[in-house]
Amino acid sequence: MNEPTIVSFLCNWCSYEGADKAGGARLNYPANIRIVRVMCSGRVDPELVIQALKEGASGVLILGCHPGDCHYKKGNYKALRRAYLLKKTLKQLGIEEERVRLDWVAAGEGERFAEIANEMAETMKNLGPLELS
Amino acid sequence: MAKPKVAFYWNASCGGCEEAVIDLNEDILKVVEAVDIVFWPVALDFKKKDVEAMGDGEIAVSFINGAIRTEEQEEMVKLLRKKSGLIVAFGSCSHLGGIPGLANFWDRETIFTRVYKTVPSTANPNGIVPQQKTNVPEGELTLPEFYDTVKTLDQTIDVDYYLPGCAPPPDLIMNAVTAILEGKLPEKGAVLAPEKSLCDTCPRGEKKPEKLSIKEIKRPYEIIPDPEKCFLEEGIICLGPVTRSGCGERCINANMPCRGCFGPTKEVIDQGAKGLSAIASILGVEDEEKMTEEDTKKLIDQIVDPAGLFYMYSLPSSLLKRKRMA
Amino acid sequence: MAERIGVYVCKCGPNIGDKVDVGTIVNKVRGIKDVAVAKSHNLLCSGDGLKFLKEEIKNEKLSRVVIAACTPKQYEVKFMRACEEAGLNPYLMQMTNIREQCAWVTPDKSAATEKAKSFVIAAINRVSLQESIEKKEIDIQPDVLVVGGGVAGLEACLSLAQKNRKVYLVEKSPCIGGLTARFEEVYPTMECAPCMIAPELQEVLQKENIETFTYSEIEEVVGSFGNFTVKVKKKARYVSEEACIGCDACFEPCPVEVSNEYDEGLSTRKAIYLPFAGSLPNVPVIDEDNCKRFKGEECSICKENCSFDAINFDDEDRIIEKDVGAIILATGSTLFDPKELPQYGYGKYDNVVTAMQLERLNASNGPTGGKIQLKNGKEPKSMAFVYCVGRKEKGYCSGICCMYSLTLAHLVKEKLPGVKMHNFYTDLCLPKKEHQKMYKEAVEKGIEFIRSGENVTVTDEGEKIIVGTNGKKISVDMVVLAPAVEPNVDTEKIAEVLDIPRDDQGFFAEEHTLMKPFATALEGVFVVGSCQGPKDIGDAVAQGGAAAGRILSKLIPGEKLELEAKVSEINEDLCSGCNICIVLCPYSAISRDTEKKISVVDETLCRGCGTCVSACPTGAARAKHFTKEQIFAEIKGVVR
Repeated sequence: MNEPTIVSFLCNWCSYEGADKAGGARLNYPANIRIVRVMCSGRVDPELVIQALKEGASGVLILGCHPGDCHYKKGNYKALRRAYLLKKTLKQLGIEEERVRLDWVAAGEGERFAEIANEMAETMKNLGPLELS
Repeated sequence: MAKPKVAFYWNASCGGCEEAVIDLNEDILKVVEAVDIVFWPVALDFKKKDVEAMGDGEIAVSFINGAIRTEEQEEMVKLLRKKSGLIVAFGSCSHLGGIPGLANFWDRETIFTRVYKTVPSTANPNGIVPQQKTNVPEGELTLPEFYDTVKTLDQTIDVDYYLPGCAPPPDLIMNAVTAILEGKLPEKGAVLAPEKSLCDTCPRGEKKPEKLSIKEIKRPYEIIPDPEKCFLEEGIICLGPVTRSGCGERCINANMPCRGCFGPTKEVIDQGAKGLSAIASILGVEDEEKMTEEDTKKLIDQIVDPAGLFYMYSLPSSLLKRKRMA
Repeated sequence: MAERIGVYVCKCGPNIGDKVDVGTIVNKVRGIKDVAVAKSHNLLCSGDGLKFLKEEIKNEKLSRVVIAACTPKQYEVKFMRACEEAGLNPYLMQMTNIREQCAWVTPDKSAATEKAKSFVIAAINRVSLQESIEKKEIDIQPDVLVVGGGVAGLEACLSLAQKNRKVYLVEKSPCIGGLTARFEEVYPTMECAPCMIAPELQEVLQKENIETFTYSEIEEVVGSFGNFTVKVKKKARYVSEEACIGCDACFEPCPVEVSNEYDEGLSTRKAIYLPFAGSLPNVPVIDEDNCKRFKGEECSICKENCSFDAINFDDEDRIIEKDVGAIILATGSTLFDPKELPQYGYGKYDNVVTAMQLERLNASNGPTGGKIQLKNGKEPKSMAFVYCVGRKEKGYCSGICCMYSLTLAHLVKEKLPGVKMHNFYTDLCLPKKEHQKMYKEAVEKGIEFIRSGENVTVTDEGEKIIVGTNGKKISVDMVVLAPAVEPNVDTEKIAEVLDIPRDDQGFFAEEHTLMKPFATALEGVFVVGSCQGPKDIGDAVAQGGAAAGRILSKLIPGEKLELEAKVSEINEDLCSGCNICIVLCPYSAISRDTEKKISVVDETLCRGCGTCVSACPTGAARAKHFTKEQIFAEIKGVVR
């Protein structure tokens, strides 16, 4: 019943509002999507992502403003770089790349948020829990 | 008053840490004068039973180098813990896992298969791999268990202090010994090295540009780095920013970038994660708006072995500790 | 002292109450360490709810508060204020969203309850580690610097100059008024431009609160919103603005003659000159690049002819330092040089001119006194206007060229009714309410419009010029090119001085095209008029006024400026000066302290994104209210 959670770091300005829009539109997505608000996707440090996996999350979702639309101009470009390098590193460490997903959700994109949340939950269901030694 | 008793021990390591003690040169005489070395397998003929015969806490301090990869090492360090007042993790391998910790990209089975069967230079037609128990006509032979995972010393026993480095430099060793002898030790758990990272003392710091951006990644074998320039400025990944200082900039002065042997500063849990974050952040940063996602990925793909690079010395002490085996 | 955490779960009427088992959550969290009170409420955001919350904080002596309710985007500010009113630092409150991000998206009540519970526990974990943050306020300097004395800058100056506020206007040329002062009539009102702006120019020059520095440039800017220090270089004019009465007696005897850039090279001027007749301030300037005296020759004719001892050859550049709270850039634009595109024959044929040259020919203060003529002095009998010169090369439509070309067509037609006119256009850009009408009138006047696309070539045939397009050839006396609008050459230098970004086209980049079209990445620096992108007069004036309004509402004399509370800070005992954070900051809030060899954050510039914190390899950079420990604690809660 209790599926492992998916820790979702949402930037305050676009993605968090996108998630709110999904709520406003009463779109459904699995309850294991657990949201942590950060000011910017640029605040999402690989240490935070790994810690989430370490704590038992089966996956981590990082959502920011679309490229070019970052509230802080360029934070999401850093998020892109870090997430990509982190995924490569994690892959070498035996952790499937799909367990970390960086994507962009604008403030108005409630449907997109729900879609990504559902996809991520489905992917994690197929991968199964992340068992770390 | 009797001189304080000191032990040295060696686990999974290269032996460089033992050399580091020898590198104290004349200073070693001062040490020997001040302390009684009661156990040092590489140099003196004391046995395990001599340690067992000591009272609990009788050894003032044990300097233990090397990571923990076998049952025997675990047993010995547990014994030393019991007999010692202080345990100092000596060198990168016991502090962080070090180079032997890179074995955590594999497990025992893959390592044995590789080492004893598939390495081109191995001739082992019968495919014999080490066994914990082997029966021979004379009886049963045993070997200690070779673990799947290399551990740091503090993942095995309680550690009081850390002397970082591959190997720890003589001045830090002498400082530590002096502090112990004078009872002027910092808070338990401290790393006996400066708090700041290597950039603080790096001789290339002065001329470094204020805005660092890497357009193309170079590996040290590809170019001869300008000995005056910050490695990052030249596109060579240097872990100096994410590595504690105190090493004496030995690699930097040899025109090689830092690889992180001193471990992270106290605020950082995962040296590799922080290192990759710092480096990723400045990749093509000045043109980031113009770069497509594909351009960005291509640039990042120039880092061929990120896990091996960013966790070169610290994999066992990282948050993930090892590769997850399928 | 032990912490006392109060946890309040809002039912939001049925919105949360029906979807989440609030009672279970309240019961479960009561046992958590330091949780002193856990209660539910039907509607916390209501007047009753806020009163209840404030009483709880006081009566229960709470040291921290968790509110589980709707999205913090809605009422976080309200709840923060309530905490403050009850004597609790608002940053010791954590809100968690169990409505939009839980109750409304999770149909299964037990799953929703489980999720909401994890959010509440995460908030409790987090709030335990939160720290009070005190409001930071700084004293401000209400005065403002305006760079550029065109219409946008003038409007800004006049809107800003009030009793308690000084405005410094810095203009690089010897006169104010910008391009508008050199136009004869402007669309869509077709009124006399110099007459239109004359009262503004006079007012700017005469108003006590406005200090104008013409023939001046900004050299250096340091500081941040509320407190900038600006160094202005006032170039040596060699003519005293105080002593000169503007009698013109010095020009005539000057032996030097050079091409006059203010007439687009269609006339000459002297080495001591006024840009054009009637330019303000009415004080000439000596052009030291061309003056004989500055080339080492003996000459002081101008000085000898001055009855007011206004000429001083020993004048020097002066650096003037001013403290201002905000800066408005209104440095304008220029036109694309058609010489870059040889197919238009510009520079090759005498009678191929730019629209700006035709403006000057038509201007009563221009080289011909307003007579539109060919190089040989004759009136043209036929003309061709070629639109979109450089549009393809620049990659954008300037949006004003169709209208200025139409305007010129109308003006020429008025002066020379018999002239035949052909307009070669690509797409007509006539977006505003008055513009279509002008096009219609042009068609009615018999002006021909030919949709040529960009395929236009200009060649000659004896006296005549041939404009060719798509197999068609039209012979005319004069060709007028409508070049694209491009940034002024000094845009790059000014962007460097201020450390603000430019866009791909080289104009100053606005912070947000739609929502902050005249702000820049550096708070307190505004860009108005065509230095931000091609613009007509009306739009430039509107922006000038808008930026002034923004400054007036934010920088109030005698009041302090509140800074962002959730900023980054750098622990100097840990920062090792790797410099990695410096390039990452989108607001240039981080710089290197060369003495301490570390990075330092300017709290007046930091907006708290935390990008530097994620990159900081030593952990020296810390995001207030979003620390690693706080986020780790929250992760632990949500993962459970």
